[in-house]
Amino acid sequence: MPQSFDSRNPPFDRLNAAEIDTLRQGMDIGYFAPGQVIVAADQPAQFFHVIIKGMVEERRDGEVEHVLEAKDSFDARALIHGKPGSEFVAAEETLCYLLPKDIVVELTQSNPAFGAFFYSEISRKLDAMAQGREGQGVESVLRARISEARLQPAVFIDGTATIKDAAMAMQDNHTNALFVREAERVGVVTGMNLAKAVLNKAKAGTTPVKEVCHFDVVAVDKDDFIIDALLLMTRHNKRRLAVREDGELVGMLEDIGILGLFAGNSQLIPGRIDRAKSIADLETTASDIQAQVERLHRQGVKADLIAEITSDLNRRLFAKLFELTAPKSILSKGCLMIMGSEGRGEQTVRTDQDNGLLISGPVAEEDLIAFRKLFTSALERLGFPPCPGNIMVRNPIWSMPVEDFIRQIKGWVIAPDENTPMYLAILADAIAVGRNPELLSRAKEALFDVLRGEKIHLAHFAKAVDMFSGSGGMLNALMASVGREDSINLKKAGIFPIVHGIRSYAIEKGVRETGTLARIDELAGMGALEADMAKELAGAFRFLMELRLRSQLAAVKHGNPEAEADIKPSELTTLERDLLRDALRVVKEFRELVRAHFNLRMF
Amino acid sequence: MFRFIRHTIDRFVIQDTSFKFLYDRDETGEVVSLDCETTGFDPWIDDVISVAAIKIKDNRILTHQSFNALVKPEAEMRPEAMKVHRLLQRDVASAKPMAEVLPDLLRFIGSRPIMGYWIDFDMSMLDKYVLHHLGVRLPNERVEVSKLYYDRKYGDAPQGTQLDLRFDVIRKDLKLPPINQHDAHEDALLAAKMYVILKDMKARGVRIPRTAGIGGVSTGAAPRPMHGF
Repeated sequence: MPQSFDSRNPPFDRLNAAEIDTLRQGMDIGYFAPGQVIVAADQPAQFFHVIIKGMVEERRDGEVEHVLEAKDSFDARALIHGKPGSEFVAAEETLCYLLPKDIVVELTQSNPAFGAFFYSEISRKLDAMAQGREGQGVESVLRARISEARLQPAVFIDGTATIKDAAMAMQDNHTNALFVREAERVGVVTGMNLAKAVLNKAKAGTTPVKEVCHFDVVAVDKDDFIIDALLLMTRHNKRRLAVREDGELVGMLEDIGILGLFAGNSQLIPGRIDRAKSIADLETTASDIQAQVERLHRQGVKADLIAEITSDLNRRLFAKLFELTAPKSILSKGCLMIMGSEGRGEQTVRTDQDNGLLISGPVAEEDLIAFRKLFTSALERLGFPPCPGNIMVRNPIWSMPVEDFIRQIKGWVIAPDENTPMYLAILADAIAVGRNPELLSRAKEALFDVLRGEKIHLAHFAKAVDMFSGSGGMLNALMASVGREDSINLKKAGIFPIVHGIRSYAIEKGVRETGTLARIDELAGMGALEADMAKELAGAFRFLMELRLRSQLAAVKHGNPEAEADIKPSELTTLERDLLRDALRVVKEFRELVRAHFNLRMF
Repeated sequence: MFRFIRHTIDRFVIQDTSFKFLYDRDETGEVVSLDCETTGFDPWIDDVISVAAIKIKDNRILTHQSFNALVKPEAEMRPEAMKVHRLLQRDVASAKPMAEVLPDLLRFIGSRPIMGYWIDFDMSMLDKYVLHHLGVRLPNERVEVSKLYYDRKYGDAPQGTQLDLRFDVIRKDLKLPPINQHDAHEDALLAAKMYVILKDMKARGVRIPRTAGIGGVSTGAAPRPMHGF
């Protein structure tokens, strides 16, 4: 009955005192000599092992996949799911608690929170973890329903009513916005609309209200989350949303109503971007966007949500900067494209700028030269570091007439060199911000067509999924370092293989989404990815993004930008190390799927 | 030789024949890790106040069937000892006297070898009671864990090498996690962990390096696979 068994070590922290006692009563301690097999690959496990001291290697097909250390445990899969495959071998003198299978299985059934740790799917595990954290920080506010926020009442007025009538109705109902019925449409009129009409435009008080209201009303459902409302406000630059319930308009949500619940201010940023008159005006806003990333993270908002909010704001920023820096000739003919992680909407902490310019026809050479220089340096001034691969507007191969660009794409596919696979990948994630988005649509159409034209082209493209893996060497080495003092590169070991594999599938299946999670969703929807694999990939991706954001913020804080994707396993909790193992296992399975699917063995 | 003769005689003088099993040949192949907490360090004056015993079979420490008992002391608990084991008079007041604990303990141990840290002390504490109740001393073979450590660490050391055989020093040297010392069960468990490690090192002919002082244990096994790039 070892008292020294650490009941605070997850997942045992989910057990109550009586359950811990049951466990303690039943456990033994095993010693394993270096090289001794603790769990054989082809035999069902009889114990759940928790390492007291020593080091254990998880091997699969003769390769070391993970190294486990004190407090790590193995192996939930072998014990509960009887999944064969992994072999656990003592790498040095190792002592383990031996928790008998029967007791552990019984506890997983009687205690769901404990049982969650033994789920075989990382996605379910993460859900279970998230439940445990509910009510913490702002996450709970963002996850609050719109109905929980303070709503303005839904007051309707006829479109033919006068401005004066509207003002009275507002006063009577203590609100500063009304719904306006006009034929089949419903608009919104605000106190500010009325004031501007009367004071700025000298309209008479008898003017029908339909002339001063606006009809581009954005609506949310009462059961939607606050975060949905916040995203809509940010995206549409609205400070007010109509709120529906069962299809009926029941109220109005103002940003101030959310502010009561939530401490952020991302909905105020678009207005500031819109009002900016110079690059200098944008500078503070740009740094606010960045500062917000850190704050939202501290408040416990999930990395994928932070990325979504940040991308929306950054795209507005890019669009505005384009307006401010481009000469008329380029404004009318140009399409600014944002590529790479920014295009996928997955950039939180700025790493570099990947952007380009497509123009519908020739423009004056001096305009182009001046703009290339100005735009790239302006972005740098706003805190977006230059792209080391020079994939920027200032590089002529990334800013040219669309026809030439399409010819160039075909060249990249047909006669690849060492850079072209990266170029194609970055371009595949491009989105257009601001004007003339059809130019990018044409370019991407061409990219999709030429890549899908011949299997070998797509295979060449997909091949990069192995870029950081070698032939079972590099990635395995990275995985093996989990549990050691060496840091592991999350981008190379996990994020890139998922992003690129999914990107390859997306091109093959003609998926136009650019975000990795959105692509996964769509691919699963059309049956190109199995539902289970899709869920696991999404879970693994979210978890890796979360760790990445943490390492990025740490790297910024310590002024060590090279380490932005590095994470030291020793700085993770036991639970996080376990999840990281799961995530990397998913990545490995997925890479094998990609290899088989695109027939990469032939290379 | 002396022990053998004494045991042979004891076998016949044992007062309670139901304990003759102590002289049976051990066929379990198990070892028992034993630790006593006492009111002090003089076996003639002081009493056992708690005792823990854990069986070890091969490389497995059978904690799930360990023996743990608090004992009501006959002698007064002395303040200096209380500071060590942190058991107060009132903690042991409700415990059973040794006369009731001993039969269960002896049946638990059987004729298995008894292992521990400074095991002679624990054994002489127990022998006081065993002698009183059965008229003999415990015949079980003794295994001293610090001796196993000494062999691995200093067995080939030149004369004059400084020895350090303290319990906590051995623990650190074997990289075992710290425990609440002076809890009989925890102490017996720690000794058991040391025992399985040291016994295996002996079997593999591996020594503990002295140069690093407290530090790494050389595995001496095949070099670990490289994980580098």
